[in-house]
Amino acid sequence: MAKLQLKELRKSYGTVDVIKGVDLTIEDGEFCVFVGPSGCGKSTLLRMIAGLEDITGGTFEINGSRMNDIAPAKRGVALVFQSYALYPHLSVYENIAFGLKVRKTSASEIKTRVGDAVTMLQLEKLTERYPRELSGGQRQRVAIGRAIVGQPQTFLFDEPLSNLDAELRVHMRTQISELHQRLERTMIYVTHDQVEAMTLADKIVLLRDGRIEQVGSPHDLYERPQNLFAAQFMGAPKMNIFTLTGAFETLQESLKLDRNAHYCGIRPGSFEIAQDEKGIFSARVKLKEYLGNSCLIHADVEGHDPIILEQPVNTDIAKDSLIFLNANPRHVHLFASDGNRIQ
Amino acid sequence: MSAAIKGPSLTLKAREAISGWLFVSPILTGFMIFFVGPLIAVFYYSTTEWNLLSQQSHFVGIENYVDALTRNDTFWDVLVNSLVFAAGLVPLNMLLALGLALALSRSVRGAVFFRTVFFAPVITSAVAWAIIWTFLLQHESGAVNRALSVIGINGPNWLHEPHWAMASVIFTRVLKTVGLNMILYIAALQSIPRDYTEAARLEGANGWEIFRRITWPLLAPTTLVIMVITVVGSLKVFDHIYLMTGGGPQNATLVLAFYIYEQGFKFFNTGYASALAVILFVLILALTILQTILKAARK
Repeated sequence: MAKLQLKELRKSYGTVDVIKGVDLTIEDGEFCVFVGPSGCGKSTLLRMIAGLEDITGGTFEINGSRMNDIAPAKRGVALVFQSYALYPHLSVYENIAFGLKVRKTSASEIKTRVGDAVTMLQLEKLTERYPRELSGGQRQRVAIGRAIVGQPQTFLFDEPLSNLDAELRVHMRTQISELHQRLERTMIYVTHDQVEAMTLADKIVLLRDGRIEQVGSPHDLYERPQNLFAAQFMGAPKMNIFTLTGAFETLQESLKLDRNAHYCGIRPGSFEIAQDEKGIFSARVKLKEYLGNSCLIHADVEGHDPIILEQPVNTDIAKDSLIFLNANPRHVHLFASDGNRIQ
Repeated sequence: MSAAIKGPSLTLKAREAISGWLFVSPILTGFMIFFVGPLIAVFYYSTTEWNLLSQQSHFVGIENYVDALTRNDTFWDVLVNSLVFAAGLVPLNMLLALGLALALSRSVRGAVFFRTVFFAPVITSAVAWAIIWTFLLQHESGAVNRALSVIGINGPNWLHEPHWAMASVIFTRVLKTVGLNMILYIAALQSIPRDYTEAARLEGANGWEIFRRITWPLLAPTTLVIMVITVVGSLKVFDHIYLMTGGGPQNATLVLAFYIYEQGFKFFNTGYASALAVILFVLILALTILQTILKAARK
């Protein structure tokens, strides 16, 4: 059992603040994903939880016990590194057994635990191989095996799938999800890939510049982004944001939007192309991208404001044609002038 | 219809081969003249009895080798001295190099300064280094014995007592050469990804266990290279012996390279000196082959 609490957690390197006061609770057994752009501090935060980075300020607790000065090995956490960090001179079996050996676990116990992990991860035929003889996916499984055998209360994953190809990434993603369901342990997963975040997480923590922008379920973050950053970060292609002045001033009237709204956001898939030239605004098509099951249409409003629409694949639109667009007000997200959501 | 354009008469592979040979020919010519030529000459001279002064030479077959290996007790003393020198210098040098590298490979304050301090002797003239240490190790007036006397120790006559002379030469040679091995170890240590040690820390390994189970095995290829170059270097040592002890006292520091020099250029037994040089060459070659075998075994 492991409930993690981060209270006003801070990290600085000299005068540079990297984590600027993070408050977060991760419940026991929860799958929590830290997501955000490069340099937002998500890996640093994970390493602070692991004990690999000192905590400059604030408190980190596991089950109510302060962990700031507790050695990494005594926190009950296991970390799966982005590079896998498999010891190149040790075989798969020795890699998985390493932690148990240094903890002076009995030989029979090592054999049992490594055997169980190897079976669970379907590594039976690879135990005598060395890391250099394994594929990316196999290395990843060994790294997970090494984490499992220590029976930690919390698993930490630092962008574990970023070195794999697209197909393998999907496969390993489902494996990690299954592992979470089977082990029922707290897991914290760092990624910059929002698809991984959306598919794996019970709770997503969206970070920017060392601060939390939003915490919530994948549904919350997608359907109710709390600010412009969250709105544009979650979802691909990203949400179209319109400033309700100038060319888009009329949207307030036509969509009957809240008077306090300064920005409105409409996801690419929430537009409809009007057939009768009666839309909330018009745009000229610049490019159409074929995606197989849909198509993306890049267009300009009044020659300068670019927007993206996602439409059915059979949408018949020529380049440079003028299209008229409609949107359901229920799918329009409103933000005040400070960028925060209007409820 | 126009005729097909005729291509070059040589194939691409042949033209590339010619270019390749042209590029390496200068160094190859130098290598043949200045390395292979003398090597063959030494092999030939080792089968002759040739006096450099009288320029009289006659073929004696393996007589010089038989002489060295069976009739000349000095040769075996010299060989033992060389092996003692190597056995003393190699472990001391490698241990010190590793210790310094472990201490100075991290980015801590002063690390770069101390790396420079320990590397400086490597680029210092061997002659200057040996002369300075000869002064420092003087019996009465040497700084070492003066320093020892401060703490009540009456230092020996370092370079003139058979027991201490070899130890002194080994010690000063270690200080002269340890910097290079330290740099090689630092480079190897810095190439070990930080993830390995962090993963080991998370799994409960302490500093010693991380060194024993992770760092040391990953340093093995570097250790092997350092060991071979240090052993080879120690067997070829000449300048320190020549400048500090001249092979004495009582032949206590008479090592193979110096013995070859004495036979060839002091006593002008060129044929015999050549045979000794061939023996040294074979010894070093055997060590190099051993390195290749050990490397192959690791794979």
